[in-house]
Amino acid sequence: MSATPNLHRPVSRRSVLRGGLGALAAAGVGGPLLTACGGDGGSGGDGKEMSFWNFYGPSDDGGPQSKWFVDVAEKWNANNDVKVKLRYIPGKDYLNGTTLQTAFQSGEGPDIFLISPGDFLRYYNGGVLQDLSSALPAEAKSDYLPGLLEARSVDGKVYGLPMEIEPLAMYYSEAAFTKAGLSEADLPKTWDQTLAVAEKLTGKDRYGVMFETLPGYYQNFTWYPFLWQGDGTPIKDGKVAFDSPAAVQALKFWKDTIQAKVAPRKALGDGGGDVVSNLGSGAVALQQSGIWAVADMKGKAAKFKYGIIPLPTPDGGKPATDLGGWAFVANSKGKNPEAAAKFIAWALGSTDAEGVERQRQWNTVVKTNVPPRKSVQAAADAKGAFEQGVLKKFVDEIAPTGQPEPRFPPEVYQPIADAIQACQLNGSDPGKAAADAAERIDTFLKTYQGAPIS
Amino acid sequence: MTTTTAPPSKPSVRRTAATPKAGMTRKRREALAAYAFLAPDLLGLLAFVAVPMVLALGVAFFKVDGFGNYQYVGLANYKLMGSDDQLWASLKITAIYVVSFVPIAFVISFGLAMLVRNHFRGIGWVRSAFFLPHVVSLVVVGLIWQFLLVDKRGAVSKLLAPFGLGDVSFLGTPSLALGTYVVISVWFVMGYQMLVLLAGLKDVPKELEDAAQIDGASAWQRFRFVIWPLMRPTSFFVVVNSTIGAVTGLQAFDLVFVLTKGGPARATSTVVLYIYEQAFTFNNIGYAAALTTVVVGILVLCTGLMFAFTKGGRFSED
Repeated sequence: MSATPNLHRPVSRRSVLRGGLGALAAAGVGGPLLTACGGDGGSGGDGKEMSFWNFYGPSDDGGPQSKWFVDVAEKWNANNDVKVKLRYIPGKDYLNGTTLQTAFQSGEGPDIFLISPGDFLRYYNGGVLQDLSSALPAEAKSDYLPGLLEARSVDGKVYGLPMEIEPLAMYYSEAAFTKAGLSEADLPKTWDQTLAVAEKLTGKDRYGVMFETLPGYYQNFTWYPFLWQGDGTPIKDGKVAFDSPAAVQALKFWKDTIQAKVAPRKALGDGGGDVVSNLGSGAVALQQSGIWAVADMKGKAAKFKYGIIPLPTPDGGKPATDLGGWAFVANSKGKNPEAAAKFIAWALGSTDAEGVERQRQWNTVVKTNVPPRKSVQAAADAKGAFEQGVLKKFVDEIAPTGQPEPRFPPEVYQPIADAIQACQLNGSDPGKAAADAAERIDTFLKTYQGAPIS
Repeated sequence: MTTTTAPPSKPSVRRTAATPKAGMTRKRREALAAYAFLAPDLLGLLAFVAVPMVLALGVAFFKVDGFGNYQYVGLANYKLMGSDDQLWASLKITAIYVVSFVPIAFVISFGLAMLVRNHFRGIGWVRSAFFLPHVVSLVVVGLIWQFLLVDKRGAVSKLLAPFGLGDVSFLGTPSLALGTYVVISVWFVMGYQMLVLLAGLKDVPKELEDAAQIDGASAWQRFRFVIWPLMRPTSFFVVVNSTIGAVTGLQAFDLVFVLTKGGPARATSTVVLYIYEQAFTFNNIGYAAALTTVVVGILVLCTGLMFAFTKGGRFSED
């Protein structure tokens, strides 16, 4: 039996909307009805097969990251009765599409899938995340860096295993600096310096600096460090804390870069996370992005000379960065959640030589990340993965200042996203925007009943 | 068929006797053939539009969490709308988009149709050129325009640079983004609308125009008193179709989704995008269904009003 029955393939946005507003009903409501007549063609098959939805492999290009996923599944399948079957979903559909949501709504969610912190509480509160604790030996747990498992835990139970750590930094173009008559000494450390340097770097065809401008939780993710630098936080002890001087100054900083016309209002390519299309094309001189860009640049703009610096801070602020990263999770309502948990613990948590090597491959060979486990970091160090260049800087200087990406549900990140957008692109007053967002978050928190938000 | 092999000597008797057996007149055969050709589309409409629409009416009374759980909440989803500022904002954005896009697209398409109705050298090429955008997927359209409208480096910025407008960000400035969508949408649909209007123009009898010309009517008078009235049914179809398309269609979703995701600062958050957001970001599927029924209601009302004011585009003599 196929792990992904065609019957339940979500109706595409295009076909549905062409037909008019039946969209939601088709996607959301059609599910249970179809399930009712479709029998128990669950995504987990007969319990002997587990579907694993992801946005890496097996992809058409069959690149190294795709191959890593395929290899992991093959290796598991060779030694286990309950097989893993990969289903590739293109990144854009996975991140912003309806594939996962419609599958879960119709009770046909995958057995194993990838999740970002921003979606953790939605799925946890929906009751579909499987507790991985029993499959996870104590030594595996203690191998993770502090904070990482906590961000994916509720009441001490672990519900997701992170596969990577992705800190954010500023990337700069050496050529742009040279052309503007600037040297390494001019690399900005503070927000004011950033604005001043960006002005010198801005020209007829180039912007001095760039932050993400597209709305969505990725933009929030990239903005949080600036909030943290001023010791701000959206929620403290279960109560809203967004209406703070730290939030106001962070909103103002992003607004200033646009008002001063030193930053673009719209990025190229896939947006702020796409260093190849923006910095690499010469359209910007200084760009905020994550550690994944190191591998991207190596693959697509190998000759381009760039460096990285920590995110600039406000005067008197503390350095901070956001530690992103996706995690493997299991569907508690799948056909075989225990086996799924075992697979995840084996794939990412194994502390034997083979398990460490598998993790090292993912984190420093096929993709550039900071490894989430101490033993993997040690193995990577032994191979000299972080001995020089930007990766060394990421590990030595930037990652230690990081906090795990917050796991805010949409009701919290949306008001923040609106505040960022309003100040950055619509010239709104940061003080009022922060107060408005705080009020909306407060309203939500008063009736919220799910797992703790952090 | 039996009727055709009937002996010529007693045609009428044989024919009447055979008719019930052979089953059909020519008209019925044609009708059946038409239904057969329509069947696949009708089935699709039934399965993917009609049934879901009816289901949406039902789901609107439930709180749905996105994980298969339903809780009956009565009219709560509808009551929620009153205090939902973002809903009203998105309806306003949609309304502005519709009242700018529909007339502009219609006038331009009509103009194009008039331009290419007569034969001239290279007419095929001209018609294809206008129609071409419509063949392209809207996602690709989005990517093409994204490329053209890149801040500072895009072709459009380069064109405007001599006028001191090289720094304008069409998709990054709230006051410009919606207007930019109107332009892109018009560019996208004008070829299709031109083709529909062209088909209507082909049905305007040449004799009427010739007669008017002999009577001394100017080009404008011929258009105003001969062509324009006879184009009413076609025009009506184009306007209604284009209104529905502008509210629910691909331009109002795919383009926005690809280019700005409702930004900058929610300036292009159309009502369909908002419904999508409620359903797939917030998991408020019941609320999204309720919103859907309201939007459908508004559309039915608008179409009804257009029918009332134009008599459905029929000629007054009908």
